Amino acid sequence: MTSTLPAVSGAEIPAQRRPGPDSGPTGRTRPPQRLRSSRPDLLLCGVLLVAVLVVQGWNIADYPALSDDEGTYLAQAWAVQQGKGLAHYTYWYDHPPLGWIQIALLSWIPSAISPGSMTVGGMRIVMLGISAVSAVLVYVLGRRLALPRWAAGLGMVLFGISPLAVVLQREIFLDNIAVMWLLLAFCLAASPSRHLWHHFGAGLAAAAGVLTKETMLVVLPALFVTMWRHSHRDTRKFALTGAVTACTLIGLSYPLFALLKGELFPGAGHVSLVDGIKYQMSRPGSGFILDRGSGSYGVLHSWLYYDRVLPVGGLAGALLLIVTWRWSVTARALAGPALAVAVLTAVALRPDGYLPAMYIIGALPFLALVLAGGAASVAHAVLRRRRSDGERRYVTGARYALAAVLALAAGAYVVPHWYDGDRTALTADANKPYRQASHWLSTRVEHPRDTRVLVDDALWLDLVHAGYRPGTGVIWFYKADLDPAVTRTMPHGWRDLDYVVASPTVRRDAKDLPGVRDAIRHSAPVATFGTGDDRVEIRRIVTATRGGAR
Amino acid sequence: MLTYVLIAAVSLALFWMAAFTLWWQMHAWRTPEVLASTRFSRPDGDEHVSFSLLLPARHEQAVLDHTVQRLLESTHADFEIIVIVGHDDPGTTAVAERAAGRDPRVRVVVDTHEKKNKPKATNTALPHCRGDVVGVFDAEDQVHPELLAHVDHAFRTTGADVVQGGVQLINFHSSWYSLRNCLEYFFWFRSRLHLHAQKGFIPLGGNTVFVRTDVLREADGWDPDCLAEDCDLGVRLSSVGKKVVVAYDSDMVTREETPGSLMSLLKQRTRWNQGFLQVYRKKDWRQLPALRQRMLARYTLMTPFLQAFSGVVIPLNAAVALFLDVPVGVAFLTFLPLVTAAVTFVFEVVGLHDFGRQYGLRVRFVHYVKLVLGGPFYQVLLAGAAIRAVWREQRGRNDWELTTHIGAHLDAAEPSREDVPA
Repeated sequence: MTSTLPAVSGAEIPAQRRPGPDSGPTGRTRPPQRLRSSRPDLLLCGVLLVAVLVVQGWNIADYPALSDDEGTYLAQAWAVQQGKGLAHYTYWYDHPPLGWIQIALLSWIPSAISPGSMTVGGMRIVMLGISAVSAVLVYVLGRRLALPRWAAGLGMVLFGISPLAVVLQREIFLDNIAVMWLLLAFCLAASPSRHLWHHFGAGLAAAAGVLTKETMLVVLPALFVTMWRHSHRDTRKFALTGAVTACTLIGLSYPLFALLKGELFPGAGHVSLVDGIKYQMSRPGSGFILDRGSGSYGVLHSWLYYDRVLPVGGLAGALLLIVTWRWSVTARALAGPALAVAVLTAVALRPDGYLPAMYIIGALPFLALVLAGGAASVAHAVLRRRRSDGERRYVTGARYALAAVLALAAGAYVVPHWYDGDRTALTADANKPYRQASHWLSTRVEHPRDTRVLVDDALWLDLVHAGYRPGTGVIWFYKADLDPAVTRTMPHGWRDLDYVVASPTVRRDAKDLPGVRDAIRHSAPVATFGTGDDRVEIRRIVTATRGGAR
Repeated sequence: MLTYVLIAAVSLALFWMAAFTLWWQMHAWRTPEVLASTRFSRPDGDEHVSFSLLLPARHEQAVLDHTVQRLLESTHADFEIIVIVGHDDPGTTAVAERAAGRDPRVRVVVDTHEKKNKPKATNTALPHCRGDVVGVFDAEDQVHPELLAHVDHAFRTTGADVVQGGVQLINFHSSWYSLRNCLEYFFWFRSRLHLHAQKGFIPLGGNTVFVRTDVLREADGWDPDCLAEDCDLGVRLSSVGKKVVVAYDSDMVTREETPGSLMSLLKQRTRWNQGFLQVYRKKDWRQLPALRQRMLARYTLMTPFLQAFSGVVIPLNAAVALFLDVPVGVAFLTFLPLVTAAVTFVFEVVGLHDFGRQYGLRVRFVHYVKLVLGGPFYQVLLAGAAIRAVWREQRGRNDWELTTHIGAHLDAAEPSREDVPA
């Protein structure tokens, strides 16, 4: 029998936990070494998970409205599945491809069983899996950051059931997948065993997150802080350099990929990574977020329309934690998420940055944790601060009464708002016009193989399944103007088309796309589904009468 | 197509090899608890074990006296020093006799073998040992005065049959290869050896190794025909289930120096590699009970050769990926071994920093640069030594190529001899 000092009997090393001096966060409730074997944690997390799954899963295909971006990512995943490359049109380094490669993997089996299920509404079910994993990770992270059980549960609820989260997490957005990876990285960084390879794994997971959606880059400093706080003095330098190295090396695989394809630098006749980055950096700004009338202001209000509690409350929670840093154990334990919220807020406050609607997805878990942490901090202040053993009973009673009042007041504000928001999410049908349009184009057009139609990506796969030629038969409307490979097949412009499906997205962006604009102008509606701004019109190109009907 | 499959397979094999080696190399830093467990525990002042310390010395009159005097300063109450000298080496014998005359704890044993080597010398002394435990040191070792007390405590508290202390090369500033050589020792004794102890298969080091006298006699001492007799002893003892304990404390290690020239390093490394090969071929490791242990043994004893192989193939593989027109997926795979190599490099840099911290040595920026730039060249050296070892073993050349030392770790720079395999 052989063993290392000072083993009692050649047991494996983990059995002989020789306490190294403690430098991890000291919480009031130390999380158990293994959450997996803690029955109350499993029970609470399991019950909450079911609730999250029900609220997010019910009616997932019909609400919210299909977005063009979802269709794009799914169509790209479809292209990966079909072995057609990394995108349904030329891949031009707009985003790293890892995100939709994962979607392709996740939807592989369902689409193999039933190819027709590879449509945006149907495949949102994949996102349900992602949300479930993320929600559990939020709970685990909360516990690892020394939150009491109820606060970790609160964080999970905020993250999973806030109407804003429900709307955004149902959609096939890369950000949702990236958030899952980042949460995994945070959980590994805060691993109670402080294992070198857990930290190494955190670096790998962070790289996967960044390669899924590059905007996650800004959260990495917060991850680093978390890892610093949770590593041990004696092994810290190995753990942190290991993590940074892992993250960097995996991150470098993206430029390496471009290099191997000969597409790293710009050149004639091919796309390049440098061009892609240049494009992303020079996207026209949407204005200052607090400037009424700017695009960013509109985006902010679209978030606040769904839920104010999580964004505003989370921000307030982050402020509270930063201010109480000196006194509050919880504040120090949650340094990582609070920093993440601070960085993401600072980035959103750029004077003229581009602020997409999905931007807040990356902040949701941190807002939830920070708000839960703030609640835990307040609860501790009310119930335990300056409390001595000999405290009079009426003082203790008053403490609990105050806590109850605060909890009830919070509940009275949140529950009705969330009830309304989530009821809409569970019952509304926002996608009927799309389904009807898809049905019409699948059944009323006689020769789909020879028909050319401009659509937004939300319908693109529907029409591929209906027999239209992918790419040049069913045409993603942007590409009619922007992709030389497509415009080459349309020498006569709009005259080479048969239909335009004027969805809200197509109508909105047509003003910047002359080809699409002309096609709409030279067409007449043959079927209209829905009313008002949300209507989807199927317009047939009118070649005989110049000027068309509009 | 076949080329692609071949390239992918080679890349994946290299990747796993490098990944495993890295995993084991980083063993001690896996968790703070593991790191804490690699140290000696503090002795309680109680002493029960008596030591016989073997000190083989050959043409080492310059350093021997200093080493003996330092050993005599040990705080432990019960030990004897047996200096083993050759019958044809009057200079060293005179120094040893003088030391024996000064202190009754020192004795001299004369080795009369015609062809001399270290295992023969220590075997000659074995019947003369009176202590419960036999310890081996080299004539130029600097031994910490409290080491014996710690080892005593380790024997008593763990029930070990063998205790291996740390050995550390210190003169990292001497040359580019001594820097890497020091770091090799650091990773080996600080980290990797503990993994071997835990897994139950351990190639022991050449000195600062302590074995219970009865266990050693039962095993018939060292193998006089093996070029890595220390490694062989460890393999034989752990294969029959003897308990080996490893402990490393930076202030308790035995300090040594790197070989004085590139050529002597090459010779030393050739001898170790050849020794490893001999141990592999002796097949004692096959008695290990678990398959995993046997796999570890196989892998460890083959390491020099795998190292040589990967040193040549990794750059070749990457070149193939860059210049041959292979599919992107296959090209990606060929970069995998390079990724592990990069991670290893980074950990080496951090290891050098930690080494400097542990030993209170100033590591300058230029040393880090040397470490990184010297990496590929050191790899070439290792590959050369591995090839040389195979060639010599094939030709049946088993003689010891001794290396000369300049005493860089001592205050006075004087010629001495070293034959300490790790």
